[in-house]
Order: sequence, then C-alpha cells, then structure tokens
Amino acid sequence: MTRRLEAIVVPLAAALSALMLAGCGERPQVVDYKQGTYSGKPDTPAWSNAPFNGNEQEWTNVLKQRAQNQNEYKRIGG
Amino acid sequence: MAGHDDPVMSRAMRAARSLAVVVAWAALSAMPAHAQSPALNADDAASAKAQQLQQETQPLNNQPVWSEVRSGRPQVTQVRGRETNVLIQQGGQTWRALRNGQVAVYGGWAIVVILVAIAAFYLWKGPLRLHSPMTGRKIRRFLPFQQLIHWTTATAFVVLAITGIILGFGKSMLLPILGHTLFSWLAQIAKPLHNFMGPVFAVCTVIIFFTFVRRNWWRAYDMVWIRKFGGMLSGHDVPSGKFNAGEKLWFWGGVLFLGVVVSASGFVLDFANFDQTRQTMQWANIIHLAAACLFMMAGLGHIYMGTIGMIGAYQAMKTGYVDETWAREHHLYWYEDVKAGRVDVEAVPSSKEPAVKPRPA
Amino acid sequence: MARMKFLCDAERCIECNGCVTACKQEHEIPWGVNRRRVVTMNDGVPGERSISVACMHCSDAPCMAVCPVDCFYKTDQGVVLHDKDMCIGCGYCFYACPFGAPQFPQLGAFGVRGKMDKCTFCAGGPEPDGSAAEFEKYGRNRLSEGKLPVCAEMCSTKALLAGDGDVLADIYRDRVLRRGKGAEVWGWATAYKAPAGGNGAPRPAGATPAPSAGPAAPQGGKS
Repeated sequence: MTRRLEAIVVPLAAALSALMLAGCGERPQVVDYKQGTYSGKPDTPAWSNAPFNGNEQEWTNVLKQRAQNQNEYKRIGG
Repeated sequence: MAGHDDPVMSRAMRAARSLAVVVAWAALSAMPAHAQSPALNADDAASAKAQQLQQETQPLNNQPVWSEVRSGRPQVTQVRGRETNVLIQQGGQTWRALRNGQVAVYGGWAIVVILVAIAAFYLWKGPLRLHSPMTGRKIRRFLPFQQLIHWTTATAFVVLAITGIILGFGKSMLLPILGHTLFSWLAQIAKPLHNFMGPVFAVCTVIIFFTFVRRNWWRAYDMVWIRKFGGMLSGHDVPSGKFNAGEKLWFWGGVLFLGVVVSASGFVLDFANFDQTRQTMQWANIIHLAAACLFMMAGLGHIYMGTIGMIGAYQAMKTGYVDETWAREHHLYWYEDVKAGRVDVEAVPSSKEPAVKPRPA
Repeated sequence: MARMKFLCDAERCIECNGCVTACKQEHEIPWGVNRRRVVTMNDGVPGERSISVACMHCSDAPCMAVCPVDCFYKTDQGVVLHDKDMCIGCGYCFYACPFGAPQFPQLGAFGVRGKMDKCTFCAGGPEPDGSAAEFEKYGRNRLSEGKLPVCAEMCSTKALLAGDGDVLADIYRDRVLRRGKGAEVWGWATAYKAPAGGNGAPRPAGATPAPSAGPAAPQGGKS
C-alpha cells in the first residue's frame, strides 16, 4: 500500500515542485507583449479594413484632421 | 382692490418695488462670497472654504483642485455605483506592488522551499516506522462522522489550493505553457470552483473545530514533544495524547487561525454585493493570499505526515482504526487511556463496534 | 506614430453629462455599467470644477499587470483593450485601476461579476472590425471608421478632447494662451511667462507682466 502510494506521490511532488519553480523566474508582468505590437492577441489595426484597406497614412491623416474639429478657434475662424 | 387702482400710484409702487429688488440684489452681491453656505454637505465645508479663499487670493492657481483630484476623497457625481464619486484611488498601486511583488515572490518561494524540504527529509530519513511488530489488534481512533468531516474539509482544501494556485501563480507558470485560450478556459473553471468551494470550506472549518477541539487542549507533555521535535530526528518515540503537539499546532494555528483568516477575507472578496470599498477588497486580498500561502505550507506538512511520512497514519483516517503497536509507540498516553477504559465519549465503543477489535481469526 | 489620449479641460467642463449619455447610447451599454462619468469638486461653491473620467489608457496599465489571465493588450496607438472571451470576472483590474474604469455587469446573486467592460477609446475589441460580434461585446469601433471617440466629438464646450496626443497638445496650448489661464498647475507661467490680458483676473502677487503672447497667438497652432 505504502509502496504504491509512494509511486504516485513522489513523481507528483516532483512535477509540482518543478512547475512551481517555473513560477519564480523573473518574468515581465504582461506575458507575450511587445510595446507597440499586437503580438499574442488576435486583433487587427484600425486601418486594416474598409474604408482604409490597410492605408495607415490615410487613416492617420483623417484622424488628425478630425481631431482639429475639436479646435473651435480653427473651426469658426477665431 | 384692482378696480380702485390709481394708475399713477400703481406706477410709483412698481418703481419702489423694483428699486427694493435692485437694492437687495446689490446688498447680497456685495456680501463676501464665503458668507454663503460653503458646501452642500458638511464634510466638504473645510475644503470648499479653502477653495473659496483660494479663488479670491490666487485666482490663477489651480493647485488645490488637482490635490483634491488626487486625494481620493468622495466628490459629487450623477453616476450611481460603487465609489463612482472618487476620481483617483491610490491604494491600487500599493496593492499591485504587493500582490505582484512581495506576496507572489515570497509566498511562491516559501511553498517551493517547503516542498523541497519535505522531499529532502523524506529521502534522508524515510518514513517513520514502527519499532515493534504489529499486533493485529485494532483500536478505534476516529468515528465515521469524524472521518466524514475530515475528508470533506480535506477535499475542499485541496480544490481551493489547486484553483488558488492556478489563479494566483498560473499567469507566470501555466500561461506560457498552455497559451492564452487554453489557460483562460482553465481559469474560467477555477474561479467559480474557488468561489463556491470557499463557503463550503468555511462551514467545514467550524464543524471540524468543534469535532476535534476536546482532544486538542494543550498539555504539559506537549512542550516535551516540541522540545524533542516529536522524535522525528532522533528516532525515539515521544509519548503524546490522542493528538501530539504537531497535530495540535496544526489544529490551532492552521485549522482555526488560518482557516478563519482565509475564510473571513475570502468572504469579503467572494460577496462583492455589500458595497465594500476597493481599499477593503485590496487588503482582504493581500491577507487572503499571505494566509493561504502559509496554510498551504502547513497543509503540505500535514499531508506528508498523514500519507507517506508515517507508516499507519493514513490507515487511521481511512479506516478509523489503528494497530495497538502504532497507538503505543506514537500516542502512548492515549493508548494507556484506552487500555484503562478512560477513553473519552467520542471513542466509547458502541455495542456493535468494540474499542479494541479482537485479532481476526 | 500617434499616441491616443483623452484630455479633459476642467476650466470648461460644465457637468452636462453629455459624454456619459453619448457613450451609453453609442455602445448600447447595459444598465449598471458606466464607461465614463463626470465628477464635480467643490460642488455649488465658487471654484467648482468638473472632470469627465473614463479609462485613461495608461502606458504602464495596472489592469494589464494584475490580470490573472493576461486578457489585456495595447494597440499601436496606445489604446488599452481587452478580450472578453478570456476575462474571468475576478475584479483584479477594478482593485488596481486608479480611475475606477473597469465595470462589471452583475451576473447573478451576491454580486457575482460578469465579464469586465470598460472604455475602448471607441476601438472595439479583438473581433473583426465593425462586426456584429464586436459591437455586442465592446460597442462601436469608431477608430476603424476614421472617427474619434464619441464622448469627445460631441462635447458641447469642447472640454473633453480625444485623439493623438500631439494634436491635442497643440489645441490645448493654443486655447490656454488665448484665455490666459488653465495650465498654471504645471508651471506654464514660470516657463513661458504669464500671458498678457488673460481673462482680466488679478495676477498672483509677484508675477511679472509678460510680453504679449495671448492676443498674438498663432492661428490655430501648428497643424
């Protein structure tokens, strides 16, 4: 009985401790993320579909222009 | 009266009334601003007054406003909800630093160290064996109800520990291996399991406390047991009552103290509908994690001694009976009590189940 | 590369809650969830200030750091988004966030938390842009249509600004120079001298009269 128990518990404890040891490594708090990229997550950039169809420059210009709508000095010619 | 109104008189009266209004308005305007009611609720009176003075002396200085933004004090908002009237809460950063820093690192390492220490001890000394051959005569150690409550609590404990480790350390241990989707499924199973098993464990803690408290009172011979470390290193058996000092420490420190701390802090996190503030939940979470790590460390020791660490211990809780030799070597005082018929009520044999089982024929 | 930001001008916000309403309407947000809210300080006394606050799309976002399933991600433009399929509703992001941005629809008894919901800067989620699935989970994806967040675009006093940080900075600098007040807290007057004229309010003691900057401010800033 004890032998059989040992045969189960010892490898289990070994596997568990190996797994726990893996948690103590120095890792960044956000896994699989690189600054300025979508890596790891299945999303596409905002300009990938119609009406921009992948034209990032056009998208940037449109948004910049649109942001200027918030400047009433420019909008009403103040 | 209207019919008798003299138009001239009426005009004069109207003029007088207008004048009175203008004078009253001018008088009101001329009053210093801080003579008005300073704030809608009394709590804000001081800061509102300071802000008013600020407006008069330094109209271009917005510094008090931005200190107020960062203060975390409740303000006014039309949006209903928990703490929607607080602009910036600063406790979150402290919680994040503790949760991802000290608690995770030291808690995680402590569990690993205990595991390694137990494994090393097992390889060095091996399990505690009996010195004399077994007699084959069995003594009842646990009643069926005691076994039931023990195994119910044990199951809840193990489920909570495993799901807790998945939620607490899984991001750094399992996520890189399993990937986001698979680990998320695992966590989505672990979280409800943890949340529903928690109250079960809390109820079990209360029941198991009253079930075993009678034989866990501290006795003088327990100090001797502690000083000799239960004979674990020397190999000489140290006499003890029904429960030895190690078991009593686990009972009072683990089951009672840590059990209550973990359950209470867990309830704060589990039932989010009592309008606890974020600060309450942050501290409850830190206490919960720290206590849970200690609990798991102590639990590992208990599980080790109850399974592979001591020959015969597992059989005691599994079947409810122990061999006479085992009782004499590990729990001498209890053995003597049983032999002398001084057994306590919980172990009194019913007519069907004798306290001392005859040797099977 | 654009870096998306919100900017709320506390000198202009009139606590109309239009941004709150517009956000709820645009994304069809359920009861009990408010991605944006307006908070008023010193309510009812001179010097009252209101600020509209939602997710601030932090660079080092605490929610990302504490999420146990790592469901958050950040777009190229610095917008913090999350994947509701991965979210387990643990509430950790709610503990960590300084601004109270994460919201949880109540799923069942005892306040059981559903999937977290927060401001997406009108940028949707991981689903295909503009799809029905994306709308149901995260609301409209205005950025992919070449539009800015609805809360800022419809703000009646233009207190709430949204868009690329550089553009917003230009707009706000221009505004502050013209009205002569509003950014003193970070030492504007010290760095660039106090603007002449201003709004006629008395100057703080010791402030030197500045060579005129206000009236001759460049038209609309650089664009």
